[in-house]
Amino acid sequence: MDRIGWEIRNDIGIITIDNPPENYLEKPDFVPLEVLKKWTSYDYLRGLLITGTGKQFSGGGKLECLFSMINAKEDISAKISAGKKVLDFIENLNIPVISAIQGICFGGGLEIALACHIRICSENALFAFPETNFNLIPGLGGIIRSQELIGLPKSLKMILSGDMINAEDALEMKLVDFVVPKQKLFEFSFNFLLKITRDRPLEVIHAVMEVLRDARTLSVEDALKNETRLFCELALAEAGRRKSQE
Amino acid sequence: MKIQEYNTIKYLLTDAIGHLVLDQPPSNKMTLAFFDELNHLVQSVGETEGIKGMVISGNGRHFSSGTDLQGILNEIEQKAISDDSNRPVHVPDFLLKNYSSLRIIEQLSIPVVAAIRGACLGSAMELALFSHFRFCSEDAVFGLPESTFNLIPGLGGILKVSHLSGKAKTMELILGGNTFPASDALKFKLVDKILPKKELISKSIFFARSVSSGYRKEKRKLYLKNFF
Repeated sequence: MDRIGWEIRNDIGIITIDNPPENYLEKPDFVPLEVLKKWTSYDYLRGLLITGTGKQFSGGGKLECLFSMINAKEDISAKISAGKKVLDFIENLNIPVISAIQGICFGGGLEIALACHIRICSENALFAFPETNFNLIPGLGGIIRSQELIGLPKSLKMILSGDMINAEDALEMKLVDFVVPKQKLFEFSFNFLLKITRDRPLEVIHAVMEVLRDARTLSVEDALKNETRLFCELALAEAGRRKSQE
Repeated sequence: MKIQEYNTIKYLLTDAIGHLVLDQPPSNKMTLAFFDELNHLVQSVGETEGIKGMVISGNGRHFSSGTDLQGILNEIEQKAISDDSNRPVHVPDFLLKNYSSLRIIEQLSIPVVAAIRGACLGSAMELALFSHFRFCSEDAVFGLPESTFNLIPGLGGILKVSHLSGKAKTMELILGGNTFPASDALKFKLVDKILPKKELISKSIFFARSVSSGYRKEKRKLYLKNFF
């Protein structure tokens, strides 16, 4: 397993990619799914924050690691698929997930950021998919996720050119949701998560996240129906609560 | 010309443009009776011969403050059949009908413009979001406060906001539940244009008329660009 930190503060889980200085990722599943499931199984968790140690978010996967896996005749496709499962799990979590991105956010690092629901970065952040420079492609769903987020033309340009994008441009093209000063990044991101979750019952948070997931995975008709069903469940609970207060 | 009498809605059809006015001032609360009449009206709009467009607004200072919450909670409690775990196994028909009214509005082949003054909250905002265009006055106030009552928007609000403003903003607006002014609504892409209050209704009607010929929803952005 990669060096990854985990702690819970005010019911917010914090995952820290802890392999400084560049926070390179050694495996596609930077946190094994079983570990991540265990961490997030804490019932009171209201949000998740993903960040990196030190000056960088993550430089992504290390090419040498990939080649040494190939040389060792490891099953690459199984590794990639494990990595995809981890990112899908993060994306499908029923609590808000924010990535707080400082410095470089390349390749696999960007794949992780794209699986989060909200991206907040520092003014000095840099984003890139450098894979095509090495005759590879982003392999963990980044092509699809970036296309959904910033549209096909920008996504194509970013992936095929491998060019770096700075924080200002990333905000402009909606690759990130907020840009804040470097010193304030963690505090802002953590407080943002607290602010949007603190006063809400967990059922409401879970319901909102479920509808947002439906928006991605279901037809409009089915997503709308499920939204109404969730509303109905919450309304019944609320009606009961009001009655008991009478 | 007034073509149909409703108790909670005033509906006028003038020169082939329908004008639906939420008519329970001052707050134009969306009661169960309103939703029934809305359903009847939107079904008949599609069958009105020669109709070219529709404008939706509120009587008086506000568009609408949204659903009559206690009314809807009582109705759900009576109608939703619960199993032992107190979870509904059946979503009551009236709720499905409410959201199907909004879907009908969304799918009308004529332009539908929401002209918003004052408060536009909760289900009222969802009604506006299912309209094809949203114009508002400077004093308009928006919000989806459902989560502050331990609920979520139940008529497609989350999906619509997420489509227009992105996932991050949706989570912020819906979990936060705060109201926000017209200028923010414009910034978040939830309204298309802020207009002077006095011109709001007349411009909205004029706009609906001017895009009605050969109207196609996919040309939304082009219509707005050409008109303003």
